[in-house]
Amino acid sequence: MANTVIGSTIVIDGEITGDEDLVVQGTVKGRVGLRQNIYVEESGVVEANVETATITILGTVTGDVVATERAELKSNCRVVGDIHAPRVLIADGASFKGNVDMDG
Amino acid sequence: MARQSQSTAADAATLIGPGINVRGRVSGEEDLHIEGRLEGSIELTETVYVATGGVVVATVQARDVVISGVVVGNVTADDSVTLNAGGKLMGDITAPRIIVSDGASFSGNVAMGGEPPPPRKQRRQAARRAPAKAPEKGTKPAAAAKKAPAKTVSKKAAAKKAPSNKTTASKKAPTRVAAIPTPRGARRDDDDTVVVKHAEVESGKSARGVAKKSSKKAAKKSPPRARVPKPGKRRVGRR
Repeated sequence: MANTVIGSTIVIDGEITGDEDLVVQGTVKGRVGLRQNIYVEESGVVEANVETATITILGTVTGDVVATERAELKSNCRVVGDIHAPRVLIADGASFKGNVDMDG
Repeated sequence: MARQSQSTAADAATLIGPGINVRGRVSGEEDLHIEGRLEGSIELTETVYVATGGVVVATVQARDVVISGVVVGNVTADDSVTLNAGGKLMGDITAPRIIVSDGASFSGNVAMGGEPPPPRKQRRQAARRAPAKAPEKGTKPAAAAKKAPAKTVSKKAAAKKAPSNKTTASKKAPTRVAAIPTPRGARRDDDDTVVVKHAEVESGKSARGVAKKSSKKAAKKSPPRARVPKPGKRRVGRR
């Protein structure tokens, strides 16, 4: 498992791109562009526009999310921004503010 | 999925995988492993590992930096910078401890201005003080006990020898010295020290005439005196 992990005390202010799974436990600001999966853990904070295949959010995301496959908002997550994805899952207890576009 | 990610996260703090590019500022308080590419700057309170295949084009500041990949940029560490075999660093290093192993490539300046300098100064000071004091203490009693008479004897012997050398030197030297000043302009002190002929001439004629004649005579009569002919030749040349 060569997952890329942004630890809980790490702050990245800038741009993350690549072709690999990304686990965010810390803070990412700026822009994230991946062709794989993004996991935003409970402690994770993403203040960025995100482009990815799938995104699973347990923490906080502020910014527009564009997922080519799926966007999943787990319970207790906080999302502020628009979600653009063919499949959107919002669990009970999730906090979300923004528009959803499932036109693909 | 989240469980898997958590387990991996627990295994290896923060990891930037080989397929990831990060551009910007990275800061934090935990170990950072870089197997991918990172451009910008890194500020950590822990250790930065640049793994083989990792490329960092950034200013790096951390407690420790371990480089097995490629780093372009200045590296500052509070503790140590380690360049492993295969590691490549182009930039300046500032750290109290720097380890460069065989097979690493590095181009840049090194500043180890942290902790080492004071111990070096202390060592130097200690080295200066210790030998300075030790020989004094060592020689004084030794001289008082055994070596003192031998030294005094040797000093006397040296004194006997030395004056003889000095006298010989003084006999030889003044002739040379006197030969030079006399052409300049007849100083009586020099004339006194010189040969008796000057005194004879001095009694009869003026100082300038004496000086010129003496220089001529000296130049002609004393070929071994190397310095005399030169001024004489000059004067010949002028005339």
